Amino acid sequence: MPSAQPDNPEHAADLLAKIASEQSRAAFSELFRYFAPRLQAYATRQFGNEQTAMDLVQETMTNVWHKAHLFKPDRGSAATWIFTIARNIRFDLLRKNKHRQNDLSADDLWPVLAEQNDSLDDDYALDNDLLMQQLAVYCEQLPKAQRTVIELIYVEGKSQQEVADALEIPLGTVKSRTRLALQKLKELIKHDD
Amino acid sequence: MIKFHPSEQHLVLYAAGELSPAMLMMVGTHVDMCAHCQSHVQDIEEQMASKLFGDNEQLARRASFDEQQMLQAIFNSQVPADSVPIAANDSLYLEGQRFALPPTLARNHHHIGEWSRLPGKLWRAPVRVGGEEMLNFIYMAEHASLPEHTHKGNEATLVVNGVFNDEHNEYRDGDFMLLDGNHKHSPATQNEDCLTIAALEGPLHFTTGLSRLLNPFSSLFFK
Repeated sequence: MPSAQPDNPEHAADLLAKIASEQSRAAFSELFRYFAPRLQAYATRQFGNEQTAMDLVQETMTNVWHKAHLFKPDRGSAATWIFTIARNIRFDLLRKNKHRQNDLSADDLWPVLAEQNDSLDDDYALDNDLLMQQLAVYCEQLPKAQRTVIELIYVEGKSQQEVADALEIPLGTVKSRTRLALQKLKELIKHDD
Repeated sequence: MIKFHPSEQHLVLYAAGELSPAMLMMVGTHVDMCAHCQSHVQDIEEQMASKLFGDNEQLARRASFDEQQMLQAIFNSQVPADSVPIAANDSLYLEGQRFALPPTLARNHHHIGEWSRLPGKLWRAPVRVGGEEMLNFIYMAEHASLPEHTHKGNEATLVVNGVFNDEHNEYRDGDFMLLDGNHKHSPATQNEDCLTIAALEGPLHFTTGLSRLLNPFSSLFFK
């Protein structure tokens, strides 16, 4: 038995890292045994309906298993990340059966699991059109493979996973090409200033 | 510098997802624009998470469930099919002028209806988010004014871009204000135009749900 428990934040973050990097079933099982029963106890009381509570637990933990790579330790604890996933699923479950046309979806309110570049989200105040025109000039100077990835992500708005699928290359390759391209762009912009 | 913020209760109910749809949009947009409230919301989420996952007493009361079976189901599951998100669109146009929308509004751009012109250099566009309460963009051109009015119930207003005054204060980008039914005011712009969103607010409920994890009777939930 491991000495640390998942209620230790560092240990929980390590477990998520292991799930993300090597799809460790042992790491996930350990997280699951801690978080799932607590979620289930709470959800059962909340919903007063065993089946809905189970759906909430299963959907939440399924996302944890597949989306562990989206956990950002610098943004908060593993427990908080799992809480926000459950919050979103609860929000959508409560609306699901009402079928109202204009309803908000949780992911549009709190993009907990969005696979997008953060800086795009944060810098809404930038004038994107102008910026894109300037960046297009710099992008011309990137190697073709990097340019393709940058265009798909930043112009067409695809996620890194979607780019990987579209180009039939590993997600890791997309990530490293993005990183290299952004480094290169930074240098080009600095050089021009 | 943002001077006017939602109350802590608003932030708690936002973090729990327990405000009306219109108010979730209002508070979410303020949080986009306000680093202070952003970090406060993170604290609130952290607190709720530790209450939710730290309560071992609930465990004793839970119904049994087959953990092994659910684990297997999860290992055998496909990557959740992302319901293809509607691309965020952070541009809002009115009379050829472009406004940059904060992320919450940009992600919900598809809920924004058509602009219509109101008397007195004012425009309005509805944001249809379901729920009982109306949510509207209100645009005031330069040197525009609304006649003095009161509100039935509370009205929340958030400045998205620009500046307006009433007899009490000046409100700029990110400022969030809540006026109750007794509050008379007459908003006006001067040399700058102003884009706001506004919602009527229903009563706040702390009786159910995730927000109940926190004690609503303390004036401040956290230090």
